[in-house]
Amino acid sequence: MIRPARGGVKGGVKGGVKAAQRVGPSWRWVHIAGSPGRSNSPARVETDNGAGMTQADITVGRRQSAAAGRRKFQSQEMAIFAIAAALAVLFAFMLPGFATINNMLTLARSVSVLGVLSLAMALVVIGRGLDLSLIASMAAGAATVMALQGAGYAFPLAILAGLAVAMAIGLVNGWIIAFIEVPALFTTLAMSLLVFGVARFAFKSVLVYPPADAHAFLFLGQGKLFGVPMPIIVFAVLAVAMHLFLSRTTPGRFTYARGDNPEAARLTGVDVRRDIIISYMLAAGLSLLAGLVSASATASMNLQIITGTMIFDVVLVVVLGGVSLVGGRGSVLSVLAGALLIGVLLNGLTIMNVNNQMQDIVRGLVLLGAIILDNRLHPRDEETARQGD
Amino acid sequence: MNSPVDHQKTATEPRGNTPVLEVRNGSKIYGGVHAIENVSFDLYPGEVHALVGENGAGKSTLCKAIAGAIQLSAGDILIDGKPVKFSRPGDALAAGVSMVYQETSLVPTMTVAQNLELGNEPLLTRFRSLNIQAQQLLQSLNFHVEPTAYVASLGAARRQMVEIARAVKHQARVIIFDEPTATLTPEEIMHFFHLVEDLRARGVAIIYISHALEEALKISDRITVLRDGRHVITAPTRELTRADIVRHMVGREVIQERPQRLPAASALREKVLTVENVTMGTAVKNMSFTLYAGEVVGMAGLIGSGRTEIARVVAGALKRNLINGGKIYLRGKPIRYRTPRQAINDGIVYITEDRKVDGFFETMAIDDNIYIGRLATKQGWTFALNAGDRNRIASELIRRLRIAALDSRAKIIELSGGNQQKVVVAKALAQEPQVVIFDEPTRGVDVGAIPEIHAAIRKQAEEGKAVLVISSYLPEILSVSDRILVTRMGRIAAEIDAAEADEQKIMYAAIH
Repeated sequence: MIRPARGGVKGGVKGGVKAAQRVGPSWRWVHIAGSPGRSNSPARVETDNGAGMTQADITVGRRQSAAAGRRKFQSQEMAIFAIAAALAVLFAFMLPGFATINNMLTLARSVSVLGVLSLAMALVVIGRGLDLSLIASMAAGAATVMALQGAGYAFPLAILAGLAVAMAIGLVNGWIIAFIEVPALFTTLAMSLLVFGVARFAFKSVLVYPPADAHAFLFLGQGKLFGVPMPIIVFAVLAVAMHLFLSRTTPGRFTYARGDNPEAARLTGVDVRRDIIISYMLAAGLSLLAGLVSASATASMNLQIITGTMIFDVVLVVVLGGVSLVGGRGSVLSVLAGALLIGVLLNGLTIMNVNNQMQDIVRGLVLLGAIILDNRLHPRDEETARQGD
Repeated sequence: MNSPVDHQKTATEPRGNTPVLEVRNGSKIYGGVHAIENVSFDLYPGEVHALVGENGAGKSTLCKAIAGAIQLSAGDILIDGKPVKFSRPGDALAAGVSMVYQETSLVPTMTVAQNLELGNEPLLTRFRSLNIQAQQLLQSLNFHVEPTAYVASLGAARRQMVEIARAVKHQARVIIFDEPTATLTPEEIMHFFHLVEDLRARGVAIIYISHALEEALKISDRITVLRDGRHVITAPTRELTRADIVRHMVGREVIQERPQRLPAASALREKVLTVENVTMGTAVKNMSFTLYAGEVVGMAGLIGSGRTEIARVVAGALKRNLINGGKIYLRGKPIRYRTPRQAINDGIVYITEDRKVDGFFETMAIDDNIYIGRLATKQGWTFALNAGDRNRIASELIRRLRIAALDSRAKIIELSGGNQQKVVVAKALAQEPQVVIFDEPTRGVDVGAIPEIHAAIRKQAEEGKAVLVISSYLPEILSVSDRILVTRMGRIAAEIDAAEADEQKIMYAAIH
């Protein structure tokens, strides 16, 4: 019996292969690097084995592959790592003072707050969400901590209160997105403005300062451990923790499942709604840590960053590294790659004395490029753009 | 069987001697499979020609080709005896062929008059004259629809009137109705029939696709039966009886091994799941049935007859389960699940009818897809992932279901449709269910994998589980079931023991 509906398989498989091929030309070397562990796709590897590959490409690829171990190879983050490395080599030759240990620490330090925020964003985006209110929860949470310390409360208590503020924002976001099924974009955008208004009302001024004797607090952003600035350590610890969470735990696996196909996750028995709420709360909690580091480093928190361009940088880092906005893709390595490229780029431009406006233009162009690339690699339709179970 | 040409010179040929539309040896291939094969069809002015057949018989494909929505892979379409080639619906429309689709093609946020004009708007539109023209058109058709009303505010019947008015406005000489009465109430259906009579009197030729044989018998001049994409018979309606049509619709050679029923299993008759008078909106009306342990129950019925809805509501898989009445019991305990998670924890799994939409995780490996099934259960959940568990669970199910994968770490999208389906089944079986519901278990599955999936279904029953299999494919229902339920318009129309069932009995019960 002929049943057209049952003939649909071929198209599907072909679609999958096509998607894979589409990646082919641009990141050709990546497949070579991934080939040893992928005996199941010899055809693809052979085509990629052709000319046009330099020895350097292969070496870079191999090294990354060894680091990735038996994990699935993720092409975009490796490409971004390679671009960042190439750029760094270029800057090292061009710019005196770029390739010094001091500058490297400055570079890492400059992206660490952004990096922590990007870890939070990655967690949400992998689960097919988006949190534009991360800056809001970060600023409001950190301001709460400082204000309570100023009022004489103990540091741990102040942190708990700040965490409560940030996670309450995450809870409301998550609840609206999971249960009312409002798209995350609108929910978190509105939440951001709401928090900004309430915070200005609550803290009276847009600038909030910590008390001068808050040594523990100030250590977070200004201190050093074994000669390494604390912001870098905080970022590193959180990156490792997030990596373990996403790749080694069931809730992490469910995050990918939800981002890949929320309805399939629901039918499989994942409590998608609860998990969405938890992911927004965790992200807001992480943003508080970013806020503490940032506020400590500058000994202040300017609430106006809520309406600033910082959230674009966060989206940029995440998307650039391959945490696709369609969900289910990318990892902590993506965040590291994205943060590294942005760090190298901005550091180099700063050394070259390129002004802020120019830097904004460069960042804007890179973000556009990254989003276009994401869209080409993971085309999506209106239906899948909406979150919810 | 009648020769395919004998109808052409019959007396019922209504008006004129040249068919307004003719399809000669039309074939359409989708991905290597013939949706229609060598189908010939003709239509005379002032004739209502009904097209009947099971789901997937090729009715819609044929009509879409006639309307220019798709192109034939082989064969010709002739209008007034001249070959034509429609590369898009606009071409067909220009030639006077108009199709009224099942899913309405109107723009809901526009008014009736604007919709009538859609695609033909002059550069500058004068709304007054537009509305007056629309009013005249609607009145001439005796439709009581306000031209300034927004389409969104209209019911299904009125929307259809607008669609028809649009076809008339385009001076359609051929109008194709695809399941026109599916969404109409009985009074609306009566009105619709009057309208069809009207159009016929104006000399419009009508193709009428319907599942409802009574309607086809009542309104058509001739009937063509398609089966499995092939032309079976075309005959004047008065020469056909309902029984004839059913026989032609299902007349395929049925080769099937009947399941070897285990007397012990059927003697036990332990009630596992009982559905009692469940009513849900218009989809499910007062449905009752029972599933016993160790038994496969097949559920047949047309699409939209409430099969999937009742299965999904039992498994908590409907997003909004608006049970209006009735009860569901699991081993005597009343249940009502709001999420699949609750059902899974009680041992009820639902295997989706469309694996690509909500069946598997395309970014994940085969074994991860299976393992996540176990992780999502209460007893299988662990905070840390365990590669040992994953390998053990996945490799066992890969072996049991004979999933053809060289490497269980390969991505699921690299598999064939049949193997993908087996992975989806494996994911469900990893949850160690007591009740397994398969919805269209072999849709889009390669022929070779079908018997293997059937064997897996039988195996579940032999292991003592209660199994429900929903399928549009009657041979499948007949070969896996111990007992068959037939749904029709949200009700259980018949319950047939597999030993006494055949395709004609099922089809007869499934269509009204």
